[in-house]
Amino acid sequence: MAVETSDSFEALEAQAAVIMAVFNEAAYERVAPSIIQPADIFLDAVGERLRARTYVFTDQDDEMLCLRPDITVPTARIYLQRHPEADVAARYCYNGSVFRYQPGGGSPAHPREFRQAGIELYAQIDEAKADAEVLLRTLEAVQTAGLKAPKLRIGDLGLFDALLDAVDIPERWRQRLLAQFWRPDAFRAELKRLSTVPGSAVEGLPADLIAKLDPKQPAKAEAIVQDYLDSHGIEAIGTRAVGEIAARLLAISLDAHSAPLPKAIADLIESYLAIEAPVRAAGARIKDLFQRNDIDIGEALDAFERRLSLLTKGGANIAQATFDAEFGRQFEYYTGFVFEICSDELGPASPIAGGGRYDELLRVIGAPRPIPAVGAAIYTDRLLLAASGATS
Amino acid sequence: MSEPLIVAVPSKGRLMEQTAEVFARAGMVLKKVGSDRGYRGIIEGIDGAEVIFVSASEIVEQLKAGRAHIGVTGEDLAREHVADMEKRFQVMRKLGFGHADVVVAAPAAWLDVRVMSDLEAVGRDFRRLHGRHVRVATKYMNITRRHFQANGVTSYRIVESLGATEGTPAAGTAELIVDITTTGTTLKANGLKVLDDGVLLRSEATLFSSRAAPWTPDTRAALAEIARHIASL
Repeated sequence: MAVETSDSFEALEAQAAVIMAVFNEAAYERVAPSIIQPADIFLDAVGERLRARTYVFTDQDDEMLCLRPDITVPTARIYLQRHPEADVAARYCYNGSVFRYQPGGGSPAHPREFRQAGIELYAQIDEAKADAEVLLRTLEAVQTAGLKAPKLRIGDLGLFDALLDAVDIPERWRQRLLAQFWRPDAFRAELKRLSTVPGSAVEGLPADLIAKLDPKQPAKAEAIVQDYLDSHGIEAIGTRAVGEIAARLLAISLDAHSAPLPKAIADLIESYLAIEAPVRAAGARIKDLFQRNDIDIGEALDAFERRLSLLTKGGANIAQATFDAEFGRQFEYYTGFVFEICSDELGPASPIAGGGRYDELLRVIGAPRPIPAVGAAIYTDRLLLAASGATS
Repeated sequence: MSEPLIVAVPSKGRLMEQTAEVFARAGMVLKKVGSDRGYRGIIEGIDGAEVIFVSASEIVEQLKAGRAHIGVTGEDLAREHVADMEKRFQVMRKLGFGHADVVVAAPAAWLDVRVMSDLEAVGRDFRRLHGRHVRVATKYMNITRRHFQANGVTSYRIVESLGATEGTPAAGTAELIVDITTTGTTLKANGLKVLDDGVLLRSEATLFSSRAAPWTPDTRAALAEIARHIASL
């Protein structure tokens, strides 16, 4: 296990003071969330894959706890504690350690304990403005701390949502594609299935039962399924009701009666996701692609353009930034704008900072409804290396 | 005298008897020696090897820590308790007994669920309707998580279950289970079915060697001798 020398400790503390001063100056209030967090909240928000990278443990009272794997969720909990209705705009900043499981106890490149400094902006109604503000403050912080040439990469999951909303596709398929978006392989497989054999899930299911289910008469489905279970001597055990089973069988049966998704729509989705280019060129390509396909996502595209102009106005060198339509797909809680700041020193595999919009997270951890939220985290150990001119 | 090769062998039950049988068939007779209540032994005909008799789960820990050079235990235990097993253990030989399949089982009444990918769709609907995740009862938390992830299933929560796991769906404390099954009749009696692609692991008693153990020319020589006998099976 890496032992921090007093030199790097002092240097990290000094750097953190510089970063926090930038955030405080921009009216971000410093908060200090607990290192030990209830594991349940993370498991609900992130899912079981959290366990793959988090130190989860139980205490003497059998309470399941974890060492925080990020500071975004703990900070959001502070916000909800102070504002249970989540009806007040707020700006918080933090600096501290996070903990991630690494096979074999970790290495200098992948330590199991490292630091993050960051900001979170909640319930700000003007979203493009909030997005731009968080990126601008993060850029200011890393540059003030000595990063010479930040390389910016952005994405926008809102554009993808808008695209799926605008194309002619059954709602249940739209939901399925949205849910699979985070797993590119599964997404591609689903898209292929929908555009070739949408009813393939019916294979292997009891044909006599499926034949009896009429998508036009959903009210009768539950009784038909119950009859089937009774006549086959299958007991309906557990908490999932027969009605839920019948509803899904109906949806599968409906798929089997549906025409495949037009190839043009599948191609359009694939073409959009393949866009990766300098920001301005990417914007033009997106506009062109959608115009050619007669797709109107005016509002989302306006928001995209407005965010860029706010960033330019705020002094960010947007001409040099890259847009990547796929960017953000690996982080399930992002819902809109996403960004990453890299350095020449450490390269694209070790971002110095990253962030984005996550409007669903607060609802998952207890807010009464989805709350606009956007934030960013700086990997301060990396920033220190890059700013001091070290190369990877 | 140089340090011996430490061979960890299950200390009780069928697992111990069958290990002794297989070793004997390979021309290696396990013999308990000494006064410390029969927890130590030798292999007749193999010089420089010492046997320790410990529980199957303790054998995994001994191999992990390198206190045993080689050992016989269930593959299910090794895969569950060693995060990167392939890197830390080497499979010398699957021994052909102690068979147990680790399977995913759901209520037989879930007529719409046939394969793993159905679970993701069910999990999403369930969460929307019930306000919580589908629960999977198991003692194999790590194996479950890895397998579900590999199959793109993310909408679920694990509840740890150390006994009578197959009864949890009917009792309402979980929706599905991951458990070992040898015949499948217990599952059926509890109203459950194994998914078509729901066999996570076909486990059996396995002879492992540990990469963490202190390997010397002497222990390597003893290992080679044992490997030669095992190869004759």
